[in-house]
Amino acid sequence: MSVAACLLLYSFGVAVLVPRPLARLTRKGVAPRLGVAAWLAAIGSVLASWTVAAAVLADDLVRNWNQPGHIASACFAALRQVASGGAGLFLQAALLAVTAVAAGAVITLAWRLVGSLLRARAHTHRHAQQARVVGRHVDGVDAVVLDAPERVAYCVAGRPNTIVVTSATLDALDDRHLGAVLAHERAHLAGRHHQILAFTRGLAAILPRIELFRTASREMARLLEMCADDAAARRYGSPTLLGALLALSGRMPAPRGALGSTGVDVLARAERLALPTTRGDRWRTQLLLSAATLLVVGGPMLTGVLAATGLALCGPLMS
Amino acid sequence: MRGFGDLEAVIVDRLWNREGKTTVRELVDELRREREIAYTTVMSTMDNLHTKGWLAREREGKAYTYWPTLTREQYSARLMHEALDAGRNSSLVLTHLLEQMTEEESANLRKALARLAKKAR
Repeated sequence: MSVAACLLLYSFGVAVLVPRPLARLTRKGVAPRLGVAAWLAAIGSVLASWTVAAAVLADDLVRNWNQPGHIASACFAALRQVASGGAGLFLQAALLAVTAVAAGAVITLAWRLVGSLLRARAHTHRHAQQARVVGRHVDGVDAVVLDAPERVAYCVAGRPNTIVVTSATLDALDDRHLGAVLAHERAHLAGRHHQILAFTRGLAAILPRIELFRTASREMARLLEMCADDAAARRYGSPTLLGALLALSGRMPAPRGALGSTGVDVLARAERLALPTTRGDRWRTQLLLSAATLLVVGGPMLTGVLAATGLALCGPLMS
Repeated sequence: MRGFGDLEAVIVDRLWNREGKTTVRELVDELRREREIAYTTVMSTMDNLHTKGWLAREREGKAYTYWPTLTREQYSARLMHEALDAGRNSSLVLTHLLEQMTEEESANLRKALARLAKKAR
């Protein structure tokens, strides 16, 4: 019981305390890949904590089915007297309810997450397929070309994965610019960025009140763009990629639908392409991000072990 | 669900290039000018395309006549709309090189980018 309580406490600590400092650390995109790893580790440790906590509760309940007072004592010492005083049945029912709620919550979350991933996959594959039917092939362009006035380039996962550029994009770019843009998109596909995005976005949509998931989903989108930028810049050079961004950010026809972004993200991306960070800055960020990752991965394990051996602070408090 | 078969893409493409309604027989004749293909293959493929919503059809005598439900341009526009709207209300997952912006945002961004591009050189 105390293991479960400690893990829950830990997970809410991470969910509340981690987003802000981690976002500050990854904002400039100094080490985008490490940033992605750190965010994924934070999310993973929270989800793992919940799952293990629910499993421990269920396990406790099953093993101590005949001595409800025993489990309770591990949690609320005061209740022991009540239990021995004949309130066993009530206690048993209460514990059963708590465990059922915890297990139900975890199962519901998993169920909805899987559903959201499957929906995203189906929708994305359908879009890719339609784009391949509707689009043209242009010699020398390793992408599907859609005739449209918007300057747009994007990639969608599918069978096969598909990169889409519009005719307006082709008109705006010269060969090297186009090469850089396509390298950027190929990096997304090769790095399976869609799967990461679908996961973080799904989680943020299911539990929008948890700041960790909300922030992670937003920051992840930025960081993945920066990862792809780096891949394109390695091959074509930062100035070429900047030039491509510049050419594509030209006057676009009035966009349809709602407006979301303010272009701040693109500016941040452009800044890091134009003004590389100093070596010291890079080292510092890499060190801090690695430490953060180790901390959130090791946290639940440490919490679990300490609680199990009764060494943790919450151990003596609750047992 | 398998990817869009090659033949399906070819058939939709042919129908977009033709005027009005087309029977299976007419399309088979057209395709046979370039390659050997069985009538039943084309027929079942067009039936599939109807099921998937790409083609509409009506019975004329013994056979069906088919036509695309949307023009190529309409499909392009629809895909573009879906792509630009991705992530807001839909389950479509894609990564945009650039987000859509208003004229003013775009102009500001362009100025900043031009400054940076000069610095990077």
